Amino acid sequence: MSISDVLSPFTAWKNLFRDPVTIKDPLNERPGAARYRGFHKNDMDKCIGCGTCETICQNGAIDMLPVDGIPAVQGDSGLRPRIDYGRCCWCALCVDVCMTGSLTMSNEYKWVESDPDLFRFTPGVDKKYWDNAELGYQRHDEKHLMPVAREEMPELHPEARLDSFVEIVHGYSIAQAKLEADRCVSCGLCIATCPAHMAIPDYIKAVRDGDYERGVQLLYATNPFSQVCGRVCTHRCEDSCAARHEGDPIAIRWLKRHIIDQVPQEKVIELIGKPAAPTGKKVAIIGAGPAGLTAAFDLARLGHAVTVYEAQAAGGGMTRYGIPEYRLPYDALDKDIAVITAMGVEIKYNHRVGTDIAMQQLEADYDAVVLAIGLHQGRSTRIPGSDHPQVRKAVDLLRQITAGETIDVPKSMVVIGGGNVAMDIARSMARLQMQHYGEIRVTLTALEDKAHFLADPVEIKESLEEQINILDSRGPQACVIDDNGKLLGLKTWKVLSIFDAERRFAPKYDPTDEQLHEGEMIVEAIGQMADVSLLGEALTEKLEWNRGRIQIDPNGRTSENWLWSAGDCVKGPDVINAVADGHRVATSIHRALTPQEATA
Amino acid sequence: MQQLYDTLSQRFSLGEFTRQRADLAFITVGAVRLHALLRHLRDQEGFTHLVLLTAVDWLEDGQFQLTYLLNNRAKCQDLGLRVMIARDNASMESIHDLWAAAATYQRELREMFGIDFPGSPRLMDDFILEGWNAAPPYRRDFDTLEYARATYRERPGRETRDPAAHMKQQLYGDKGDV
Repeated sequence: MSISDVLSPFTAWKNLFRDPVTIKDPLNERPGAARYRGFHKNDMDKCIGCGTCETICQNGAIDMLPVDGIPAVQGDSGLRPRIDYGRCCWCALCVDVCMTGSLTMSNEYKWVESDPDLFRFTPGVDKKYWDNAELGYQRHDEKHLMPVAREEMPELHPEARLDSFVEIVHGYSIAQAKLEADRCVSCGLCIATCPAHMAIPDYIKAVRDGDYERGVQLLYATNPFSQVCGRVCTHRCEDSCAARHEGDPIAIRWLKRHIIDQVPQEKVIELIGKPAAPTGKKVAIIGAGPAGLTAAFDLARLGHAVTVYEAQAAGGGMTRYGIPEYRLPYDALDKDIAVITAMGVEIKYNHRVGTDIAMQQLEADYDAVVLAIGLHQGRSTRIPGSDHPQVRKAVDLLRQITAGETIDVPKSMVVIGGGNVAMDIARSMARLQMQHYGEIRVTLTALEDKAHFLADPVEIKESLEEQINILDSRGPQACVIDDNGKLLGLKTWKVLSIFDAERRFAPKYDPTDEQLHEGEMIVEAIGQMADVSLLGEALTEKLEWNRGRIQIDPNGRTSENWLWSAGDCVKGPDVINAVADGHRVATSIHRALTPQEATA
Repeated sequence: MQQLYDTLSQRFSLGEFTRQRADLAFITVGAVRLHALLRHLRDQEGFTHLVLLTAVDWLEDGQFQLTYLLNNRAKCQDLGLRVMIARDNASMESIHDLWAAAATYQRELREMFGIDFPGSPRLMDDFILEGWNAAPPYRRDFDTLEYARATYRERPGRETRDPAAHMKQQLYGDKGDV
């Protein structure tokens, strides 16, 4: 026996003063491992009720249910996941897929109850003692089941577009569109935000499946302006997209455009099918913009004879005469309109109601009339000098550009306004300057500061790329004219605030911060109004009005039972709202024209 | 590892070589060559330990991938051999004669993926899925949710709402006919 054999038992004594590795009280203390997948937690401030956890659960353990005090709002269904722990296998797929990262797991796993129904509860709503547990399973910050980055859209480079009205956005390839569509979890939160409630997840699925014909049918079920909306929609749907919480929202607008780009015109018409048999009823629509033509499309499909009166030489309304060609090429718009006329809609171009035909005549000749005249009259700042002939309205200039009229392009100009129309005219005129003079001298002054600009961020980004000089917080004071009557430019003061305490428009300026922006032309782009002179005095008197707009009921009917109104002239503010409005009045008119069938 | 691959290449017909780390590499090899190559690696190259045997279902390609991971304890190296086999009537030569433990892996693969290993001991005995009567559950065309629905009773009191339909009911009510 060696000496070490004698001593070695005593070496164990050195452990006497160490902390034990084992748990002191294993019957009461049994902490789960740090990343143990225990009972769920759900952060109510982050959960949007998209139901992706329910969809992915392979055990059917999750239900989506309304919760008191959590209403449905844009981008949040108001539902919350309730988990049945009789089925949950703790696999954590729900945590891995959660679009907001609200759903996590605590490391708590011990819970004894005699009532099995208690093991079905709504984490985050039904309070549990592990709700604030710090440990437990969470998805790795950078690991997502869905790719977080949007497929990049191929576009014209700024240098290539400075002097060109060619469309900037090229559109996705089929492979790109599939990848982008693959990022969608089909939760459907976007549908409520879309004014026309388009079947967005379904048509995105059609892209995934490569079934473009079904895609077109789905688009036309709610929107006959997919070429237009696929390009210039304000796409508020993307603000409600579940994917935006941990990455880029799905490019819903580009996917819509992709579908319609894939199917030839004749096929589209064939897919929609023929209209219903003629009803013998006649409807007149004033204005061939998105609202008027959507109503025309719906009514024609229902078998009514529809005539559209359009003052301009071509259809589309503001989408043609307001939106520049580099954002919406005219041939794309023409395709949408051609499908509508293929349904039997007759459009009388160059027919201005009030001049070429009177409202009374329409009332007498038709069973119903829709007023969808848009907002084509530019508002004026009414600052001193704004009546100078070289002080122009953005809508008028944009219309002239579309109509191909010759414009005396100024070498330098100032735009007043910070909305999308201001960007449109600034960028259009910059292109003309580049074509005429080889240089761009456009200054844009907005009341708002950069953080509160009304224009889309992408418009501002592209304007800056196109060398537009954008100045924020500048309030127009006067159009400065020299002794010879020549316009020199715009005088502005720094804006201190735009609204008063009651949120009324009451801009305050700092007169000591004065600037003169040089310009041979000044363009006002501060808003538009409807030109209602076509109504005539008698009808204007008879109609009920609401703050300068014709009063309508929820279905778009005016106080005169033969007259409906839709689109920008009564509501706002964009194409997709006009489309939704067109559907609404069409439904209402159809019901009014066929009361028996409607109630049968 | 590159050197090992070059040496092996002189004796065996090998496929793709992937060097994952300094001490980990993968070689793709045809099914008929696997057994001889394993024996050589075990007896001549020091890869005496079978770390694991596992499978991947490449459903779209109609193939299973088998991965045999070996360890050389002396050199602290791991070498994975990848074998692609047809998914229909999937069958692979057993290696239980090289490593007795392989029989257990093969039993598991038979149960989870439905891959046959003729001659492997107790191959058809239940491994962990006692009384399983559905398709092998690790095959990617096995519908777990469908199986759960068909197999397990729904507790009374379950109900659910579709988010889009719920929002429609809650949010569009007062906005006219659309």
